[in-house]
Amino acid sequence: MQNSLNMKILVCVKQVLDADGPVRIDASGKWIEEAPAARFRMSRFDEFALEEALRIREGFPGTRIDALSAGPARAAQTVRRALEMGADDGIHLFLDDERYRMPFEIASLIGAYASDRHYDLILAGVMAEDDMQGQVGPMVAEILEYPWATAVMSQKLHKTGDGPDASGTIYVERELEGGLREAFELTLPALLTIQSGINRPRYPALSHVLRARSQALITIPTSRPGETDPVSFPAPRERIQSLEEPAPMKTGVILSGSPSEKAEKLRQILQERAFL
Amino acid sequence: MNNEIIVVAELSDNRLLPVTYELIAFARALAAGDSAPVRMIVPGRETHAVARDLADETGLDIIALVGDPLAFYNAETWMTAMAARLAVRKPRYICIAHTSRGCDFAPGLAVRLGASCITAVEGFSRQDGAARFVRKIFNGKIKMDVTPERDTTVLTVLPGAFKAEQKSPRAHLAGSMEVLKIPDHPQKIRTLGVIPAEEQDLDLALADVIVSAGRGIGAEENLELIRRLAGLFSKSAMGCSRTVCDLGWLGYKHQIGLTGKTVAPKLYIACGISGAVQHIAGMRGSKMVVAVNKDPRAAIFQIADIGIVEDLMTFIPLVMDA
Repeated sequence: MQNSLNMKILVCVKQVLDADGPVRIDASGKWIEEAPAARFRMSRFDEFALEEALRIREGFPGTRIDALSAGPARAAQTVRRALEMGADDGIHLFLDDERYRMPFEIASLIGAYASDRHYDLILAGVMAEDDMQGQVGPMVAEILEYPWATAVMSQKLHKTGDGPDASGTIYVERELEGGLREAFELTLPALLTIQSGINRPRYPALSHVLRARSQALITIPTSRPGETDPVSFPAPRERIQSLEEPAPMKTGVILSGSPSEKAEKLRQILQERAFL
Repeated sequence: MNNEIIVVAELSDNRLLPVTYELIAFARALAAGDSAPVRMIVPGRETHAVARDLADETGLDIIALVGDPLAFYNAETWMTAMAARLAVRKPRYICIAHTSRGCDFAPGLAVRLGASCITAVEGFSRQDGAARFVRKIFNGKIKMDVTPERDTTVLTVLPGAFKAEQKSPRAHLAGSMEVLKIPDHPQKIRTLGVIPAEEQDLDLALADVIVSAGRGIGAEENLELIRRLAGLFSKSAMGCSRTVCDLGWLGYKHQIGLTGKTVAPKLYIACGISGAVQHIAGMRGSKMVVAVNKDPRAAIFQIADIGIVEDLMTFIPLVMDA
């Protein structure tokens, strides 16, 4: 089979607090409270990355997809979700507390894990839904000395050979402002961050859900700076000083009253300003 | 370590993007506390003329990074060319635009320089002499103050967050200009060029009133209600947040925000839009903003002139009938 090449893809998925619910600052003032009712799920941006990996595997049977998440105990659910969507193996870089980690700390962990595993391609979401930094992907690439492209809206892989002789390139279009795109060809191995909207992430198939239920995750312990676990943290390079809810609107007004009174007021305002 | 601040210019077709002037204003404000020197890097194939003008106009010292490898943006060339020069200079801050390309190379540059990295910066404050950078998380619901721990920090600054200075008749001395030729061609990334935008229409650009839908509208069929609301106004158009496009409910030509269109209508009605910084960057210039959202903590209310905390599906029909 011409496309049957043993490629290895790593997809980085992050577990985030579902911000549709309340988001409140915790007692330390430095991160978000985990209320008992809080819901955690895979960052939507990473669902696009995982879906893109699954589509590559459909085009290149024999490809293996590892899904990896760095997070506290609860992040195992997100790794399992990745298995349900169709990843072959799930890796949990286990953090032994719920403290927020800066992008470089996480990128260093992932980089250390991936450094001797010879992934042909690493995919991640364009940013995480919670901290919206957009740094981990390109940082992992730089740590591994992989070329990268962020905000990818389309990709096409060309791979030839197998094993140590394998070589290949990936054509990507990345998104610019105002609807423009720019195209590049990257030499494999490479890392892409996937822009939302590139595909429609699938719902897990029942067969995958059943398989994921019985499959063990690969759990990798991580340690503090200076310790000797294979995957250990660097010293943080930035520090959160405080979190704050932004001050309420500076100049505007919130309309009060019953819904129909508000509707009436709005119409009045729009008429006064000659919009209606 | 020195206290120099470097601003990286962004060009398109050999012309400076307006965000570069915002970066200069940001850097000058940041410098003011300890009268730090601000210097610019202008990368591109032949940026001599642009750099010369900039030195005259702003009085800043400019480094033009030039050469064929810089003819088109390429993460690898940008990184390699800049990292080599910046590693020697060891500036305190490196200010890059939080644009698609800025976000592409800034984090890698920070890693290569061993620098701190703070993205989507909207402002800063000073506490005990140290700058704290402000950015937003959770779709703008929470403000985060961050301080760097390293001697050098890479910052990406959100377009529109800082006002460019008014161009004044030049009372100051022109800055100096240094030209550095970059010979190194990229090894792992080949640039293939820019692909033009697909269908463009001017509806959004010409509209007096934009009625915009976010994920908070709940379902594709509810767009009809938004469309009817837009129909109340003359010269109106429909816009939306990125998520609405990603879900396939509206085409990307309707998208307003950092990666979509930037609009400045007389009236902007945000329906079920959370108000993430990426969206606000595209509609900040609107003269009047009305926001309807059932989440009273939605960030969109921070910039709204009129805020209405209601469910759209019940509220819009009331407005239509009022």
